Amino acid sequence: MIDADLERELERRFPGAWELYRKTAESRELEVSGTNRGEAWRREEGWAVRWWDGGLRFATGSDRQRLAAAIPLAGKLPGRAEPAPPFPTSGLIPEGGQIPVQPAEPAAAVTAPPDLFAPLTQLVSEKSRGEAVLASLTLRRGRAVEEIRNSAGSRVRMESSQLDGIARALGRRGPRTCERRSVFRWDAEPDLQGVAGRLADGATLPLASRGPTFSRGAWLLDPAVAASFLAALAPLFCADALPLWVKRGEIASRPVTIVDDASADAPWDGEGTPTRRVVLIKDGALVSRLHDLRSAARAGGFSTGHGVRPSYRNPPRPGPRRLFFETAGGVSPRELLAGVARGIFARALTAPVFVDVDADRYEVEFTGVALSGGRASEPVAGARVSGRISELLARITQVATDRQFFPIPYPVGAPTILVERVNFE
Amino acid sequence: MEFDEALVARWLEPFVAGRGDIAEVFAETRRKTIVEWRDAEPGDARVSIEAGVSARQRRGGRERIAFVSGSGEAAIREAVRALQASAKKTVLPSRPAPARADFEPGPSIERWVRRLETILARHAPRHRLRWTHEEISRRVVPFGSAASTSTRRLFSLDGSFTAASRRGDEIRSFSFHAPEADATADELRQALAAAAAARERPIPFGDGIADILFSGATAAVLFHEILSHALEAETGETPLSRLAAARVSVSDLEVRDDPTRLDLFGGYERDDEGTRPRAVKLLDAGRIAGNLTDRAHADGRGSTGHGRRAGPADPPLPRGSNTVVAAGAATSEEMIRRLGNGLWIDEIGSGTVELSSGRFRLAFPRARRVRRGRFADELGAGFLAGEILPTLSAVEPVIGRDVRVCRSLGWCSRGGAVVPVQGEAPEVIVRRLSVRDR
Repeated sequence: MIDADLERELERRFPGAWELYRKTAESRELEVSGTNRGEAWRREEGWAVRWWDGGLRFATGSDRQRLAAAIPLAGKLPGRAEPAPPFPTSGLIPEGGQIPVQPAEPAAAVTAPPDLFAPLTQLVSEKSRGEAVLASLTLRRGRAVEEIRNSAGSRVRMESSQLDGIARALGRRGPRTCERRSVFRWDAEPDLQGVAGRLADGATLPLASRGPTFSRGAWLLDPAVAASFLAALAPLFCADALPLWVKRGEIASRPVTIVDDASADAPWDGEGTPTRRVVLIKDGALVSRLHDLRSAARAGGFSTGHGVRPSYRNPPRPGPRRLFFETAGGVSPRELLAGVARGIFARALTAPVFVDVDADRYEVEFTGVALSGGRASEPVAGARVSGRISELLARITQVATDRQFFPIPYPVGAPTILVERVNFE
Repeated sequence: MEFDEALVARWLEPFVAGRGDIAEVFAETRRKTIVEWRDAEPGDARVSIEAGVSARQRRGGRERIAFVSGSGEAAIREAVRALQASAKKTVLPSRPAPARADFEPGPSIERWVRRLETILARHAPRHRLRWTHEEISRRVVPFGSAASTSTRRLFSLDGSFTAASRRGDEIRSFSFHAPEADATADELRQALAAAAAARERPIPFGDGIADILFSGATAAVLFHEILSHALEAETGETPLSRLAAARVSVSDLEVRDDPTRLDLFGGYERDDEGTRPRAVKLLDAGRIAGNLTDRAHADGRGSTGHGRRAGPADPPLPRGSNTVVAAGAATSEEMIRRLGNGLWIDEIGSGTVELSSGRFRLAFPRARRVRRGRFADELGAGFLAGEILPTLSAVEPVIGRDVRVCRSLGWCSRGGAVVPVQGEAPEVIVRRLSVRDR
């Protein structure tokens, strides 16, 4: 529980220029493989203070006493001169609201995640026609409470919970093997079918005998592949200075609208600024950027509510919180597929997406299925598409309506996407 | 980290029913200082002081772990209570106690900041670098054996700087990781000076197959990926799994994993299960010679002392530490001549391996083309790719004589768990690796 004494002490030492953050989190994890079973229970506490005393200082501790020990040590370090940004003043903790005292019985507050190893094993086997096996499944259910206070009088408290996991499958054909991981987060009911399909395809398609048999065509991106590309592109929305190719005006084709809106996840960001919907690319034109308090102050504007704290150990930085393609004007994925005369459906990545926003370059390596006359024809073990980001964005001709979210690590949502006139290697 | 070890051992006793069962308490305090440097001026600064404890039980293939933030007897009691509740055993009564800051500040931080200001201003005045200093103290109380304590101080400098090339300025990446020692500052000076040396402007190169001379200790990164990871017990089936004692490479090649090398970033006096580590030969005269094990995966000789945790919230896993390649007899000139035509690579930025298929990939920021045994064009960034067994069998039977430490290799992530690693190696030639331009 944050107490008034600590706030008074911070105000005395750093008048008008401090922010205090505290997080408590509890989680239960179940990892099951063919031969092993692991259970983990974790209760983590973290405190962080950010203050401006000449330059920015940041101190963290795993409890209040360690935080108190870290503050003078951080204060002794030299820093670059920078004024404190204007802090948000809106949030107020509801009457009587404080981070609750820990439950008396350990491991009682968060229920254990379900054991879904057996049903997922069966689904992976079915979808891969026996060529892939589920090697391990880790599920984690967690709950976190965050509290933010600052010298402008804002008091914010947020509670969140989630169920996420990692599954690993092995595909085998003759002497060849392939491993595939799938990271997922379930906001509602467990989507075993979706995870099993991705694992089965990702572990078996690379075992195909050959790559693409044609060098140019349409490129259909599975939602998981499109989401990974969007996540790799995210620095473009937060950079202090825009690269030259972005300054030319429209950076994507008209069907592309990209939004960040974490309203459903949390009412405030990691600095206590209210969450709001920000349209980043509208009908192909870059119309907005994501800011936290510091980047907004540098740009002479206001925070957009995108001060992100990946952990209490890191100071907030500008970043996406729930980034997605808008799909209001989309078509069904079946219609997209039917319209492809010749191309490749990229089902899974075989290497991390490479994006160099400054140099306007990207490279995507994937496995998938060749398409001909609107139908799947044969598996493609591996293919590569590379070139200019600006060209790729300009050649997105349609987006589908089947948007799905993936934790990369924040939620990134994408539908099936069609890109025309792509060169395959 | 003051607590009564005998009392903790008594708490752990009910978790051990038979031979092979493991029960232990692991406690860690960690102080981390980070300063962002920009053009020889310190920028954002942060200090973190953390403590955490976990209690663990392993029986057969079933493992339980309970973690709480904090230190001392009260925190350990909470972790043990959670483990008891999970194992459906009688739960100790709760006795919360206020946390105590038990970390004495070290005097070296401010001295390092002053030194860095001078070193950076002289050798790389235009830069964006992050300096990290970590002091990690760990204590393990295993049931049935003696408790152990270890402390490591780790120094890292990571980022990029602007260097002069023959045709203008260019941004180069820089990574330096070392355990804190008297010689660290001098080593850093030398590493920065070497990284800032003038170069020709790189030219693009095509994709294809090439012979590679791994210079500047980069062979340590290669063997870290394809040998150390592949021989970690518990990795499942890898191309090396069923090849114990089989000859897979030239008889001149000897590679070991040596955590006892405390002068390297991945060294330690005790592993995270309290076991005193020993150097393990991975490849002896070209033959597969051993696995890296923790207590749960030990053979008859016991754990090799490679049970490592990213932190107290994670269970220990068998992980590599320092990949050390033994010296041969060839000079650098002989190695270049032996390469003939190919690529000379003295920096590797990152590496990955998919253990089930054995496919690996190494990213390099620059290379030099070698033609007829002589240096030719400066090349830009690219990838090397290959598979474990074909690569091991393609090692040239001539090894360099000068062994160097690979200070750019510092942290290794497996399944999200990050541990310090390093290595040293002489020059090694590998034939017919796949090369791709970036």
